[in-house]
Amino acid sequence: MTPEDATGDKPHPALLPAGLRDLLPPEAETEAGAVEALMAAFSAHGYQRVKPPLLEFEDTLFAGAGAAMAEQTFRLLDPDTRRMMGVRADMTPQVARIATTRLAGAARPLRLSYAGQCLRQGSDAREPERQIAQAGIELIGADSPEADAEVVAVAAEALASLGVTRTSFDLTHPPLIPALLEESGISSTALARALDRKDAAAVARHAGTLAGTLTELLLAAGPAARALAALAAAPLTTRAREHADRLAATVAAIEARAPGLVLTVDPVEFRGLRYHTGVSVTIYAPGRVEELGRGGRYLCGEAEPATGITLYPDSVLRAAPARPARARLYVPHGMDGAAQRAAGFATVAGLAPVADQAAEARRLGCGYVLGADGKPVLLEQRHG
Amino acid sequence: MTAVFPAPVAETSTKLVLALPKGRILAECAPVLARAGIVPDPAYADESSRALRFATNEEGLDVIRVRSFDVATFVAFGAAAIGICGADVLMEFDYPEIYAPLDLGIGACRISVAEPRATAGQDDPATWSRVRVASKYPNVTRRHFAQRGIQAEVVELNGAMELAPTLGLSRLIVDLVATGSTLKANDLVETEVIAPVTSRLIVNRTALKTNPELVGVWIQRFRQALA
Repeated sequence: MTPEDATGDKPHPALLPAGLRDLLPPEAETEAGAVEALMAAFSAHGYQRVKPPLLEFEDTLFAGAGAAMAEQTFRLLDPDTRRMMGVRADMTPQVARIATTRLAGAARPLRLSYAGQCLRQGSDAREPERQIAQAGIELIGADSPEADAEVVAVAAEALASLGVTRTSFDLTHPPLIPALLEESGISSTALARALDRKDAAAVARHAGTLAGTLTELLLAAGPAARALAALAAAPLTTRAREHADRLAATVAAIEARAPGLVLTVDPVEFRGLRYHTGVSVTIYAPGRVEELGRGGRYLCGEAEPATGITLYPDSVLRAAPARPARARLYVPHGMDGAAQRAAGFATVAGLAPVADQAAEARRLGCGYVLGADGKPVLLEQRHG
Repeated sequence: MTAVFPAPVAETSTKLVLALPKGRILAECAPVLARAGIVPDPAYADESSRALRFATNEEGLDVIRVRSFDVATFVAFGAAAIGICGADVLMEFDYPEIYAPLDLGIGACRISVAEPRATAGQDDPATWSRVRVASKYPNVTRRHFAQRGIQAEVVELNGAMELAPTLGLSRLIVDLVATGSTLKANDLVETEVIAPVTSRLIVNRTALKTNPELVGVWIQRFRQALA
């Protein structure tokens, strides 16, 4: 052992920067397969794939909807132009840019899908990952409850294609509470914060005349029917009432298009990716702490209505039932495995003759060995 | 190889976990739990018991007993769906995953700045650029002084804060003050209240979103226990 090793001064070659990781077999293949399955579901509903670049100039990356991600973005200097570039932290703003520039002339509503890796500055111990896979859809140029319902229904179908059927969709309307506060003449960052944390004591302290209404709405978060009833009964101001009606219309449209989805509504929540301007959704899997996806309504470019959903394939896979890996078949030296590959096996060719083919097959992680008669033989499982 | 995408753990236990703080608030929690209809296993109230997790009279509810700061961590990460902890802990950690839907009104005290009687009022804090403070609340302390244009150099201690000024470790302390008797015994005076503190019922955000009926029932039972 060298002195460097003893003091730990020399970094271990396996150590990666915080929040980054290597995916190994079989997970790397599982992930790629899952992303393709999600994309196939999107494609089947007419969402056409786009592929934006990993990085772009920060002024285009942070324009419009992208501004919310500025503080989480890794930046670097373009040696050519001396302009700052950012590594995408979220793909939705990129797709919005494509829709308003290169595809400005394409027919509306425009349906686009995408998949790729994003990089974020790690936020804290609960979300330590810096590299995040995304797969999503954007529906651009339609502002209706039916459009909101379509992205939810398509996302649910994509999740179901991976066996993730126990989900719940939490719907919120981020502008609702700000509208209520503004129209009531209340402006308080302390109140906004208290509402965000559902801190009932602080809400009561800061909300003045709205204390009663806000406390009731705070506790109404839950099953859609109950929460919407509380919203319907609450004394809301004009614009807040319009928002509440739209939320109710969206819930009705989702129930019509995808009956049986578990829907919850949180009337006071205005958290999200922070660019959302209308009905927003977060996808959960009961019993799991992490979110499977997020989406919602935003403005594409200056004024074009748009909505979308982004799924996080890593979390989706952790919620999905295990997928059987492709069976591995050892093909002894000199034999041909083409027929078995066609039958679905992954074949592992022996590069030289060996004495004990079964032992060699096991050593290489194969569950089958190709027999002399050209038929695969299942090897006995050996434990310990 | 550790599986990055492990097969989902079968949900054999749908038990909800309620995290309760050891120490100061534990005794004050008892009547609230009783009014909410929760009767933990007798070993729970026995501070000498080595057990950490206890059954209750409710089939679907277990309680765990952890340090006050750890209640917030268990709930923030979803290891416990609900918990009880002081507002001081929430101010310090500021986890966005924690909702605090109820003020239980127990464990009342305040988080305050204190300094030795000898130096209190001797100079004007507005002239300070920085000050050294002993505290177990580094974030609260830094934030409080930053709002006054002062950098706080925080010396983190987990107890016996009151010794720090007299032994020259810091100029001030930031700590919980209930009656003030510990301060007095160490010849310190409370110079500023940062915030009043009471205990809150806290819930994990995702637990409330994915299991709204069950978690909602418990919030409701605690709410009725206060009425």
